[in-house]
Amino acid sequence: MDKEFTYIGKRVPRVDSLSRVTGEAVFAADLKLPRMLVGKVKRSHVAHARIVRVDTSKAERLRGVKAVVTGRDTAGVKWGVFRYTQDMEFLPRDKVRYFGEEIAAVAAVDEDTALEALELIEVELEELPAVFTPLDAMASEGPWIHDEYPNNVNVHVEINVGDVEKGFEESYLVREDTFTAAEDDYFMGEPFAVVARFDDGGNLEMWTPNAGPHMKAKPLSNALRMPLNKVRVRKIAIGGAFGGRSEISPADYICALLARKSARPVKLIYTREENTVNVRMGHALITTIKTGVDREGRVLARDITCYMDGGAYSSTGPIATSVPFLCMEQAYRMENVRYNGYRIFTNKPVRGMIRMHGRSFACGVDLQLDRLGEELGIDPVTMRLRNARKAGETTPTGSVVSSCGLTECIEKAAEKIEWRKKYGNLPPWRGIGIGINSVQTGFPLGIRGGSQAFIKFNEDGGVTLNSGVVDNGQGNDQMLVQVVAEELGLPLEDVNLITADTELTANDPGSYSMVSTFAGGNAARLAAIDAREKLFRIAAEALEANPADLVLKDRKIFVAGSPDRFLPLTKVVRMGLIQGRPVSGEGHFAPKVDHRREWVSNPHGQLSEAFSFGATVAEVEVDPDTGQVRVLEVAAAQDCGFAINPMVVEGQFEGSVAMGGQGGMLTEYHFWDGGRCMNPTQLEYKVPLAADMPRIHPIIVESNDPGGPYGAKEAGMSIAMSAAQAYASAIADAIGVTITDFPMTPDKILEAIEKRRQEERK
Amino acid sequence: MRLPAFEYLEPRDRQEALDYLARYSENASILAGGSDLLVRMKQRLVRTSYVISLKHLKDLDGIRPDEDGRLCLGSNTPLVSIIRSPLLQGAYRGLTDAIRRIGAPPIQHYRGTIGGNLCLETRCLYYNQSAFWRSGRPRCQKDGGEICYAEENSDRCRSANVSDGACALMALDAEIVLESREGERSLPIEEFFTGKGESPFARSPDELVTTIRLPAPETAFGSSFRKLTYRSAIDFALVSASAGVKVEAGRIARARIAVGGAGAAPLLLREASEKLLGKSPEDGDAVAETAAQAGRHAAAFMVDNLGATLEYRQKMAAVLVRKAVQEALARAENGNARGRRER
Repeated sequence: MDKEFTYIGKRVPRVDSLSRVTGEAVFAADLKLPRMLVGKVKRSHVAHARIVRVDTSKAERLRGVKAVVTGRDTAGVKWGVFRYTQDMEFLPRDKVRYFGEEIAAVAAVDEDTALEALELIEVELEELPAVFTPLDAMASEGPWIHDEYPNNVNVHVEINVGDVEKGFEESYLVREDTFTAAEDDYFMGEPFAVVARFDDGGNLEMWTPNAGPHMKAKPLSNALRMPLNKVRVRKIAIGGAFGGRSEISPADYICALLARKSARPVKLIYTREENTVNVRMGHALITTIKTGVDREGRVLARDITCYMDGGAYSSTGPIATSVPFLCMEQAYRMENVRYNGYRIFTNKPVRGMIRMHGRSFACGVDLQLDRLGEELGIDPVTMRLRNARKAGETTPTGSVVSSCGLTECIEKAAEKIEWRKKYGNLPPWRGIGIGINSVQTGFPLGIRGGSQAFIKFNEDGGVTLNSGVVDNGQGNDQMLVQVVAEELGLPLEDVNLITADTELTANDPGSYSMVSTFAGGNAARLAAIDAREKLFRIAAEALEANPADLVLKDRKIFVAGSPDRFLPLTKVVRMGLIQGRPVSGEGHFAPKVDHRREWVSNPHGQLSEAFSFGATVAEVEVDPDTGQVRVLEVAAAQDCGFAINPMVVEGQFEGSVAMGGQGGMLTEYHFWDGGRCMNPTQLEYKVPLAADMPRIHPIIVESNDPGGPYGAKEAGMSIAMSAAQAYASAIADAIGVTITDFPMTPDKILEAIEKRRQEERK
Repeated sequence: MRLPAFEYLEPRDRQEALDYLARYSENASILAGGSDLLVRMKQRLVRTSYVISLKHLKDLDGIRPDEDGRLCLGSNTPLVSIIRSPLLQGAYRGLTDAIRRIGAPPIQHYRGTIGGNLCLETRCLYYNQSAFWRSGRPRCQKDGGEICYAEENSDRCRSANVSDGACALMALDAEIVLESREGERSLPIEEFFTGKGESPFARSPDELVTTIRLPAPETAFGSSFRKLTYRSAIDFALVSASAGVKVEAGRIARARIAVGGAGAAPLLLREASEKLLGKSPEDGDAVAETAAQAGRHAAAFMVDNLGATLEYRQKMAAVLVRKAVQEALARAENGNARGRRER
């Protein structure tokens, strides 16, 4: 960029860092309100059953119990992200569909009383046959989990572009492989907690971890049959989301219901087990990929069929079924491609979006490309470079890619780990691998629109930005402060925020689908520019200058090129007040997408305005005795458009390697005893430890997207996905066997090594 | 998760602790660090009316040799004191290596004690779950019921001992001293464990483990500890192995091999250990044979209940024994001295 920035592109500490490290940040579980009650949820202890009877009379009579709610207290409104996926009652009346599903809830004066009351609720269930895998679910003769979905098929996304059969015919080499992966999970630092209260005007106030307060308020208003302006989701510190807090949670609704019935504030805190089972988790996948390439390794045709274990409800189903394919079609050029994605209901907890969404899909595509290259004598980096997406191209489903630094990412990551020197020349049991991926920067999600921001000036020249953007850990608040400070020539501490409050702020699409900087950042920037123009009009008159010649820097408005001709910002703000034209700013931004595009019925057209790209290279060492992997080094390169704060972006890369690579590929998975999740806690679900992390080289690539604020686009996911692919590729290189079931835990690696040894002996 | 109600007792000395134990017997639980007990109480795996904290029992905190040169570890000795003790280097490195793998450094430094780790309850993924998780079906054997979810038709509980300290102490041939108001008794460590998952310890409810006694240090003795986990800290063992070996005149004179994460007690593999006797420490075949034998015996005790696949844990038992024996032999021959210099 040719412009010289004061804050944009600079390594400045985040506004929220200090309160996080000192423990002063207030999370929902920390809140204490006068007369507040403790809420607890009664859950199903079977995986699939008809609800025959729920008798709460004994619980209601227990001293200290102030409210008990069941499906009878609801208006029976069903939640779904789309009109055609509305299938989830927050307190079901007819059936329970997974082990742990909500049946009733209590609010009592303390936790012991609430727990005792749960024991007093009598639940009679008529157990139904349950299914726990997609294949069993499809083969089941019923009863279906939802009557409206025969054979338990929830979503079918079908995409067919070009002529796939012809592409295969013209291919020099064709391979078909199947890749599978178990469920993965978020394990946010903060377990879910919610506080709800009704004020004396009948307004609902709620504090809850979210990835978009407006995206919670709307479904709450529907389910509670309240006007939207009476549902006020407040700002609160949030300890992570990773895709798991995009939707309203049954607990949000239940807590509000308890608060309404008891006429007192209610706090409901999830245990770690509830946070695992009753929030969301990643889908398990079975992905069959067939790819045809020419002699030079260019992909001529691809046919992918994927079965996703969706759990008991639709959740973000149509999106979840599409995104793994879309990431792949963005990252790799191809003309002939077919996709059949099926999301299948099972009697397991509900699956949603996750940062490393569809690991068997992404890793399968990349591992297969490695194997095709091997047969052709082409190394993995060259295979990637020959097929990598370029700027100006259009994806198979019709999205124009306006900016793309993928080739640069591949080259820089490979160079950092000395790919050319190492590939094929490493000592035994060492391996090197690469993965590449692409992520959308904001796609439309049902009714969600753009972001709107407002700025007001205080008399002393400080400003308050009003924006619906939420920060759930990634640094969105810091992003807003840097943008406004830059545009208004203010020090960072002069910018105050009112954000993520549905009463006070205008609509915002939420911080999922990687859109906050693109939409919310642009809206804040435009609001600041609007305010600045008003300031300049006032200042221009006083300075007898042309507004176009003015600059705003260090709390002063200068005439460009004349450092002596200036007015203090405070003075101009006061002049505005006195002259009856107070200074404020408004900005709004919605990504330019094709609104006719629909996930299932019409998956064609511009999906997102921008796409970002990542390449990760990893070097690993495998212990052939134990199958354990030590990751020696990782280079993570991402085209994030432009790094508004490189320190924050690098933090995203490091977290991405931990979540996508180290955890996602080596240790993280759920396993089951029927419908019971065997490892719902942090002891048994193996999130990687800091001590086990490899050295990471973050490489920021900047393609300056024309639509992004200062050129910025997504920065939190492309590395997570490509890191998983790089780990998988490096392990295959180290052991000489391609493992097709993820994560690649030591038991699987050892088994693969032994199989190879047996075959070599033959 | 919330702790159930209980009465908390803080005896000022050993006598008061023994009085409480005599009075409350099986209604009492001993808090010797708490990283295991408190979780079990929250999960309603243990129902107890009294929790007796050992934190003021200073006379049970310390490491000192007795008149016969044996090393006495007070049961209330913090894990960090064991890691740091100059008395526990050399021949006893198998123990310090094990202690370094318990939980994570904050647990070793802040709360954990050697007695607490020795008395770590056996574990099973079908049992170590919340009360809600276990609801809706009959209780398992360790939970007071009659079913085993880990192994179909098993007539007994198949939970496993995963205490790192216990495994190392087994290989070191430790002695466990128990005291009650009635007096004191001392058990060889293999008798301290019952081998029963439902009730893994030979401690009667009125008894307190007061001392862990280690044989006097010898020259040409080496010990070691190996533990398999998916992460370098926090995790309990998927399988573990410890070895203690004595070399005399170029031959292996004594050997004790223990495997954890298999049965309800750390397994003392006598037959496999005996295979080493009279062999040269450089005899790789003997070590391999021993490891294979140890692996086969340990595998027979294992069921699929600690995570990873059963086949993997079974295979790893032999690998870990081999590595542990090799390291113990190296230390017996010269490694202890070198080990000291390295520090």
